[in-house]
Amino acid sequence: MQLTISGLTMGSIYALVAMGLYIAHLTTHRVNFGQGDYMMVAGFLVLGLGRLGLHAILSVLVSICMLGLMGYFLERVAIRPLDRFKRISVGAYGWILTTAGLALIAQNSVELVWGKSAQYSPPLFSSKRDQMVTIFGARFLLEELIVIIVAMTVVACFLWLIKKSRWGKAIQVVAFNPETAELLGINTKSVKIFAFVVASVLAGVAGVLIGPIVTLQPHMGLVFTIKALIVATVGGFSNPVGILIGGFLFGICEAYSNYFDSQFGDLYPLLIALGMVALRPSGIFSERSDDVR
Amino acid sequence: MNMLKRYLTFAACSMVISSASFAQVKVGVIQGLSGPPAIVDFGESYLQGIRLALKDHEASGAKVKIELQVYDDEANPQRAVALAQRLIQSDKVPVAIGTVSSGNVLAMAPVFQKANIPLVAGPSIATQITAQFIGEKPSFIFRCSMVEKFQIDGMLDWGVKKFKRIGLIHSTTGYGNFAAKEIQDGIKTRGSSLALVEAAAPGVNDLTPQMVKMRDAGVELILNFHESFELVYRPMAKVNYRPVVAGNWGLSSMKVMEIVGREAIEGTVMGQALDMSQPRSKTFDERMRKEFGGAYRWPVLAALGYDAGQIVFKAVERVGKADPIAIRNAIESMDSLQAVSATPAKPFSPSDHECLDKEHVFLGVWKGGAVVKLMD
Amino acid sequence: MFARDALSGTRAPWLVYSAGFLACLLLPYAGFSGFVVHQLQTFCYTAIAVIGLNLLLGFSGQMSLGHAGFFAIGAYGSAITSLKLNWPIYLSIPFGTALSFFAGALVGVFALRTRGLYLAMTTLAFGFIVDIAAQRWVDLTGGTMGLMLIPQVGGSSMSSASFNYLALCLVCLLLVQMAADFISETASGRSLRALRESEIFAASVGLNVPIWRAATFAFGSACAGLAGSLFAHQSGFIGSDAFTVRLSVAMLIAAVIGGLGTRSGPLLGTAILLVIVETIAGQEKFGLIIYGLILLFVLLIFPEGAAGAIGRLSSKFASGAKSIVYNVTKLGLPFNQFNGLQLEVKGLVKKYHGVTAVDSVSFKVKAGSIHGLIGPNGAGKSTVINVIAGVYTHDGGSVILGDHDLGFKGTAQRASLGLARTFQNLQLIQAITVAENVMLGFKPRWSLARTFFDWLSLKGCERADFEDALSVLQFLGVDDTAKKLPSEISFGHRKLVELARAIAQQPVVLLLDEPIAGLNTAEAKKIAEVVRQLKSLGVTILLVEHNMEFVMSLCDEVSVLHYGRLIATGTPAEIQANAEVIAAYLGSKGSTDD
Repeated sequence: MQLTISGLTMGSIYALVAMGLYIAHLTTHRVNFGQGDYMMVAGFLVLGLGRLGLHAILSVLVSICMLGLMGYFLERVAIRPLDRFKRISVGAYGWILTTAGLALIAQNSVELVWGKSAQYSPPLFSSKRDQMVTIFGARFLLEELIVIIVAMTVVACFLWLIKKSRWGKAIQVVAFNPETAELLGINTKSVKIFAFVVASVLAGVAGVLIGPIVTLQPHMGLVFTIKALIVATVGGFSNPVGILIGGFLFGICEAYSNYFDSQFGDLYPLLIALGMVALRPSGIFSERSDDVR
Repeated sequence: MNMLKRYLTFAACSMVISSASFAQVKVGVIQGLSGPPAIVDFGESYLQGIRLALKDHEASGAKVKIELQVYDDEANPQRAVALAQRLIQSDKVPVAIGTVSSGNVLAMAPVFQKANIPLVAGPSIATQITAQFIGEKPSFIFRCSMVEKFQIDGMLDWGVKKFKRIGLIHSTTGYGNFAAKEIQDGIKTRGSSLALVEAAAPGVNDLTPQMVKMRDAGVELILNFHESFELVYRPMAKVNYRPVVAGNWGLSSMKVMEIVGREAIEGTVMGQALDMSQPRSKTFDERMRKEFGGAYRWPVLAALGYDAGQIVFKAVERVGKADPIAIRNAIESMDSLQAVSATPAKPFSPSDHECLDKEHVFLGVWKGGAVVKLMD
Repeated sequence: MFARDALSGTRAPWLVYSAGFLACLLLPYAGFSGFVVHQLQTFCYTAIAVIGLNLLLGFSGQMSLGHAGFFAIGAYGSAITSLKLNWPIYLSIPFGTALSFFAGALVGVFALRTRGLYLAMTTLAFGFIVDIAAQRWVDLTGGTMGLMLIPQVGGSSMSSASFNYLALCLVCLLLVQMAADFISETASGRSLRALRESEIFAASVGLNVPIWRAATFAFGSACAGLAGSLFAHQSGFIGSDAFTVRLSVAMLIAAVIGGLGTRSGPLLGTAILLVIVETIAGQEKFGLIIYGLILLFVLLIFPEGAAGAIGRLSSKFASGAKSIVYNVTKLGLPFNQFNGLQLEVKGLVKKYHGVTAVDSVSFKVKAGSIHGLIGPNGAGKSTVINVIAGVYTHDGGSVILGDHDLGFKGTAQRASLGLARTFQNLQLIQAITVAENVMLGFKPRWSLARTFFDWLSLKGCERADFEDALSVLQFLGVDDTAKKLPSEISFGHRKLVELARAIAQQPVVLLLDEPIAGLNTAEAKKIAEVVRQLKSLGVTILLVEHNMEFVMSLCDEVSVLHYGRLIATGTPAEIQANAEVIAAYLGSKGSTDD
C-alpha cells in the first residue's frame, strides 16, 4: 500500500509538470525544456525563504509568483523572438536550445546561492518531519497524502480554467488557429504569455510540493522534464485528465517496477511508454496534418 | 685575478638566477566539480582541504610560490584525459592531484605515468588505482584517499560479528556493482551470506520499494552503497522500520545528517579516517568552518584533501623547482608529515603508494552529531 | 540556406578534396603537442557526428535528441569487437559504423509515424535507453568503469601513434564531408529539403517518403557511429558516462551554432563548441551560466549559425560572384512528346466520419484531352483530385490509369507512373531556388556512381538538369526567375513555377487544382495558353476550377459535382444548358470569377 501512495505522490508531481508542458504546447507548439529546472528553482526558493524566516504560506506564495514571472521572462526571451525565424530550419526547433539555455542559467544560479549539494526541505503540511497518519489501520506519510490531494485540486482548477473560463476558451481558439483568433479579436500575444505563465506556475506548484518529499539538488531538473514529457506524450490525448491519469500510472508503474526489479526498474516505465507511443502515436504532439484543399 | 672575478660574478649571477627560479610552480588539480551531488560533494570538499593546505603552506613561510590550476572534469573520463593532457602539455605542471571518479583516475593515470608526472590520486577509492602502477619502476601514481577494500573489510568483519541478517542496497553504476561484488565475495569468505540484495538506479528519488523488501526480509543491518546516501533513511518512518545502516565513507558527510536528521543517522557506521573525538581533528574542523562557512560539509574528505595538499606542497618546497621526477622522489620519501587524517608521518614507500593503509582505516560511527571512532 | 552558404564556389570539387587529402596526410606530422593532437582528434570525430545530425535535422527536418545513442552503439561495437574478439581496428571501426547504421534504420522506421516534437521525444527516449543499457549491462560494456585497453592505432612511439591516429580521423572526416557535400549539392539535397518542408509535395514528385526518412536516419546515425568508433580508439578507454543526453545536446548545439542545413556548418559549429568547452573548463562556478548565455545569444542573434552569418557577410562583399553562365541551347521543352493516357474514375467513394464527401462518382478523361471538374464550394472537387493523386485513400470504387487500376498505391508510386499534380495552396519549396524546384520534377538522369564522379569533376551533371529546367521555365515565360527563391517572386509567377514543376515530371496525366485561383486576367490567359499547348503535346489533363469562362473555353468535357455526387458530364455547351447544373449554382452561365 505504501508503494501505491508513493507512486501516486510522484505521479501527481509528474502530472503537474506535464500539465504545464501541455498548456504551453497547446497554445504555441513549443514547450519549456527547462520545466523540471523551473520546478527545482521553486523548491529551492521555498527552502531559502523559509530559512530566512518567512512563514511557510508566504514563502510558497512568493515562490509561485516568482515562477510566474520567470514564465513571462521565458516567453519573452526564449520563445517569442524565435517566431521571427520561421523560415529558417532552426526556427522550428530553436526553442529547445533557448529554453535549455535558460534552464542552465537557472541551475547555475541556484548553485551559486545554495551550493551544489543536496538539501533538506522541511515539510509544508506536517508539523514535524515524517509525520504519519493512520487510515484504516495502515500508516501513511501525511506529507505524501496531502501532495496527492493538492495536486488533484490544482488539476481540477486547471480543468475549470481551460474549459470554462474566458482565458481558457481564448487558449483553445489560439491553439486551433492563431490567425483565426486574431480575426476574432483575441490578443494572441497575451494568450501566449498567459500560457507560459500558467505553465511555470504549475511547475512552481510541483516544486513547492516536491521539496519535502525528495531531497532537493540543483541537478534534478532534467530527469523530471523528461519524465513529464513522456507523461504528457502518452497520457495526453489532448485532455488534461488524461495527463493526470497518465502521471499517476507512470508513478505507480515506476514504484512497482522498482519493487519487483530494482536493477532495471527505471527502464520499464520508459519502455512501456515507448510501446504505448508506438501503438498510439496520436499524443498531444501530433502535428496538424497539412490542409491540402 | 680576472679569472677569480669572472668566476665570482658568474657564481653570483647564477645564484640570482636560480633563486629567481624559486619563482612559481603550478600544481594541477582535476576534480569533479559539477554534476550530481554524489560527485560534487566529494570534489568540492577535497578541494577545500587542498586550498586550506595551500594557505597554511604559504603562511609557514614557503620559498616557492605555488599556484593551483584547477579544472572540472565533469565526471567524464574523456574530459579527465583531455584535461590531464592540457595540464601536462599546455600548463606544464610538474605534479597533479585528482579526481573523484575512479573511472576517471584509471583513464588519466596512464597519461601521467607515461609523461613521468606524479599524480596524487584522490578522493577516488577504487582499490586498483595504485596497484596497477606499483610494479613500474618508478611508479608516478600515489593516492591519498580511502581504499575501498579496506573499509569494506573492516565493515564486514564488524557486521558479520554483530548481525545475523545483513542486506545490501547498491547503485547500478560501475562503482555500485563493483562494491556489491566485493561485499558478496567478502561475506562468503567470512562464512556468511546476505539475506537480501537490492539495486537501484543512481538518479532515483526514492528507495521505498527496496526498503519495503528489506523490512519484509527481516534485515537488521543494511549495507548502503548507493550514492544518494540519504535515500535509505527517508522511507524508514513510512515503512516503520529502523535497521542499523553501514556504508562507505559517504555516510560521514554532514550533508547527509542535515537531510535525514540527527536521530535518524545516530548509530550509522562507515569507513573512516578521521576521528572527531581527537583534539587535532576538532581544531581542523573549526578552521575549515571558519574558512569556508556553510560550504564546508565533509570533515574526512577535507582532511584527506588537506593532507594530499600538504604532501604535494612540501615536496615541491623541498625540490624548489618544477622538476617532476625530483618531486616524485620527494613525495615517496616524505617522512615528517603532520597529517590531520589517520595518514602516518611517512605515508609512502617504493612498494606502498597509499596514504592510508589497512591499519589506518577504522570504522566510524555517528554519535551526537559527529563522527567518532567506533569502539568495539 | 542553400543560396547563401559560406563555402559555395566554382572550383572543381576534386581539386579541393585532393588538396584536403594532402593536408590530412601532412598536418598530423607537423609536430603539435599531444594536447593539441588530442583536441584535433576530438574535433574530427565530433564533426563527423555533427555532419550526420546536420543531415538529419538541417536537411530532412527530423529532430534527433538521441544522437548520442548511435554514437554509443558505434563506440561499443568497435571497442568490444576489437578488444574481446581481437578484430583489427580497420575492421572494427566499419563494424561499429554499420551497427549504428542498422540501429538508425530501425529507429527511423519506428519513428515513421511521428513528427516534430513527438519524434524528438522518441529519439530522446532512445538515447536514454542506450545510456541506461550501457550503464547497467556491465558484462558487455563495463558500465561506468568501462572498457579499458581498447586497441589503438600503433606507431613507432606514443606520439607518432597519435599522429597516425589523427591522420586516420582527418581522412574519415574528409570522406564524410565529401559525401555530405555531394548530397547537399545534388538532387538528393533538393529532395531532402523538399521532404523537410512538405512531405505531401515530396510524395507527389515521386519521392518515397518513408524510405527517404528512414534512410536519412540510417545515414545520420552511421555518421554518429563512425564518430563513436573513432572515439573508442582515441584513448583506449570508454565508459558509459560519456554517452548521456548531454552529449546529444552538445552535438545539437554544435549543429545549430554552425548553421543548420549548410555545408560548412558542422565544421564551424564543432570548432566553436570545442573552443567554448575549453574556455569554460576552469570556470566551475559560472560555467553553466556562460554556456546558457552563449546559447541564447547565438540563437537569438545568429539563428542561421556561423555559416549563415559568414555567408551573408561574404555575399555583401562578393556581390559579383562569378557563376557559371548557362547557355540555353534548346528551345521549347526538353521532351517532345507526352504519352497521355486515359484516366477513368469509377464509382469513387470517399467518406469522412459519417460525411460522404464523394459519393459514387464516375467519369472518363480521354487520353490527350482536357477535362474540367466543377461544382459549388464544398462539392468535393478537391477531394476527388486528392483521391486520384493518392493523398487520401478511397472507400469505394477505383481509379484507373490507362488500363491499370491504381488500387491503393501511394502518392509517390502514382507519381512515378506519370501522375503529376499542382496544389491549390502552392507547395513550392522555400529553401531552394525556382530552378531547383523545377528540377525536383525530373527523374534521376544517371546512376549514383556516375553522378558522383560528374559532381567531383564539376562537369556539371547538374548543368544538364538545370538547362532542362530553364527550358521548361522558358516555355512558361518565367525563365528570368530561375535563380530566385520562391519568396522573391510574384504570386502569379509562383503558380507558373508550380506548373513548370508538374510539367518537368513528364506526366501522362496532369491534375491541376485551381490553376488560376488568385491570378489576374492576363496571367490566367497565359496559363490557359500553356494548358492548350500541353494538350497539343499529348498530355491528358484534369482540372478543377471555379472560373467558368476558363473552364468552358478550355475543356473538351466537363463534369459537375454537387454535394459529392456527379450531376452531369458533357461538353461545355451541354453543361451550360443543363438545368440541374444551373439550379445547383443558382447562377447564370458564363459568369466570370467572383
